[in-house]
Amino acid sequence: MIDKLNIVKAAELLKKKEVSSVQIVKEYLNRINKGKDLNCFNEVSSTNAVKDAEASDERRKNDSLKSEYDGIPIGIKDLFCTKGVTTTASSKILSNFVPSYESTVTQNCEDAGLISLGKLNCDEFAMGSTNKTSFFGPVKNPWKSRGSNAELVPGGSSGGSAAAVAADLCTASLGTDTGGSIRQPASFTGTVGLKPSYGRVSRWGIVAFASSLDQAGPITKTVDDAAILLEIISGHDKNDSTSSIHNKEEYFKNLNSNVKGMKIGIPKEFRSDNLPSSTQKAWDDCRNLLKSNGAEIVDLSLPYTMDALPAYYIIAPAEASSNLARYDGVRYGLREQGSNLIEMYENTRSEGFGDEVKRRILVGTYVLSSGYYDAYYLKAQKVRSLIKNDFNNAFSKVDAILTPSTPSVAFEIANEPNDPVQNYLNDVFTVPVNLAGIPAISIPFTNDENNLPIGLQIITNSFEEQKLLNIAKNIEETIQYKEVPEKWWVK
Amino acid sequence: MEFDRETLLKLGKLARISIKDKQLDFLSRDLSSILKFVDQLKEINTENIDPTANSLNQNLIRREDEKSNTNNIEDVLENAPEKELNFYVVPKVIE
Repeated sequence: MIDKLNIVKAAELLKKKEVSSVQIVKEYLNRINKGKDLNCFNEVSSTNAVKDAEASDERRKNDSLKSEYDGIPIGIKDLFCTKGVTTTASSKILSNFVPSYESTVTQNCEDAGLISLGKLNCDEFAMGSTNKTSFFGPVKNPWKSRGSNAELVPGGSSGGSAAAVAADLCTASLGTDTGGSIRQPASFTGTVGLKPSYGRVSRWGIVAFASSLDQAGPITKTVDDAAILLEIISGHDKNDSTSSIHNKEEYFKNLNSNVKGMKIGIPKEFRSDNLPSSTQKAWDDCRNLLKSNGAEIVDLSLPYTMDALPAYYIIAPAEASSNLARYDGVRYGLREQGSNLIEMYENTRSEGFGDEVKRRILVGTYVLSSGYYDAYYLKAQKVRSLIKNDFNNAFSKVDAILTPSTPSVAFEIANEPNDPVQNYLNDVFTVPVNLAGIPAISIPFTNDENNLPIGLQIITNSFEEQKLLNIAKNIEETIQYKEVPEKWWVK
Repeated sequence: MEFDRETLLKLGKLARISIKDKQLDFLSRDLSSILKFVDQLKEINTENIDPTANSLNQNLIRREDEKSNTNNIEDVLENAPEKELNFYVVPKVIE
């Protein structure tokens, strides 16, 4: 009954009293336990989750539900501060950190009655696209290449969030996306991943990486669920001065999959000889599908697309080096002893941060350092304007843009490029969206010849999440993607 | 841009991350590669282009300055690695 359970179905079953919240939660906890090999969770909140489920079942009896989704369990990326529950950002430096406050996003979930099953593994401080930079070890992708036993990356940084949904260890999950960290893992795992407009969702209580780019969003099994979860987590928050005053919208109720007359742009810069032919074919097929469903296809150009990644790798490390200055061994987290204050800082940070985080802090420090600021940081911010202009121009002609989500499907964990820049290229299709602050969704379209999921990305203008979801829903209804991975991890 | 030993150690000082001798080689290789990659931006003409710091087109929102009971001392000090009375304790700064 709980197989492939999503938020909509769970709400239905709970409403009809065919199942209780306690039953759902216990079943997931059982699965999480059996799925330990996947390494999705940094911490499982077994006791709290059952207690919360009992309270929800009680509310159902008393007719005092917090929302129609009361009692539905989800997973939470270990980047959201959760009161009384260890929040590590998958870093050694925060491995003992128990927040005394709750992030706005997780508070919004709690206010709707959603239950947390635990904290999901991710790349350290959300820096990575393989989940291999986690202090707690890599998450394994539930998918495997046909005929191969090699373990694959789930993508990152929200690798645990995506893998847990794909492996059916929760109904849905929360992730964050700074340069593709929701959409890329969603694409690698056959799940739906939505990055909202910058400002749509409060960043308060989320461990900061690059504050001008970070956004939280849902990873789900269906577009309906993405609409529901976005509705629950979004809205203005007085604790985040960059959260938008745009009113909260009823994304789920207002879903309308009709795309007749919509203009869909296909940007030529995303075409590449390096794109796998199956990904190119999926992109072409989707274009044709939308056309036959009544949309008009418009070829367009986003000339600065390929400049987004280098701009991102100046802006994001610069902001990260500033944000991560707070980890000094004084107020919380790890402390390593030193003979004086400076040595204590240096030893703490040297011991507490992993290699990728150190690399980014050093790059960020360099581009912000005296004499280099204008050449790097300011230059990147100007290029950011050009990228934003590209999208503004595009959206004066089209309703939405369709691209592949990633330049490849999931690859082997053992496959380690020597050059960090090779890893960065994973985000080449997702990063422009973060720099422009606009929303985008990755939806599973088909599986390739090796049975690995291919995701496609839809992009709309700022605060047009409804349109984004509507188009995604149209594609979802037409293709009926039903692939699920074999449960090799169940012993 | 090549990162020599001196530049790397200076960066480490600025970032408060101690860099050990055995890390110098791979750090130099990695950072040089990243810098080479981002250096391609230099070819873009950005004359008369204003920088974008943040994509949100919204003025800062004001709120009433009201008393609230957040950030009480117990909560704030709860995670301190070392504390005494109501203070964080750090290695001696003044002789």
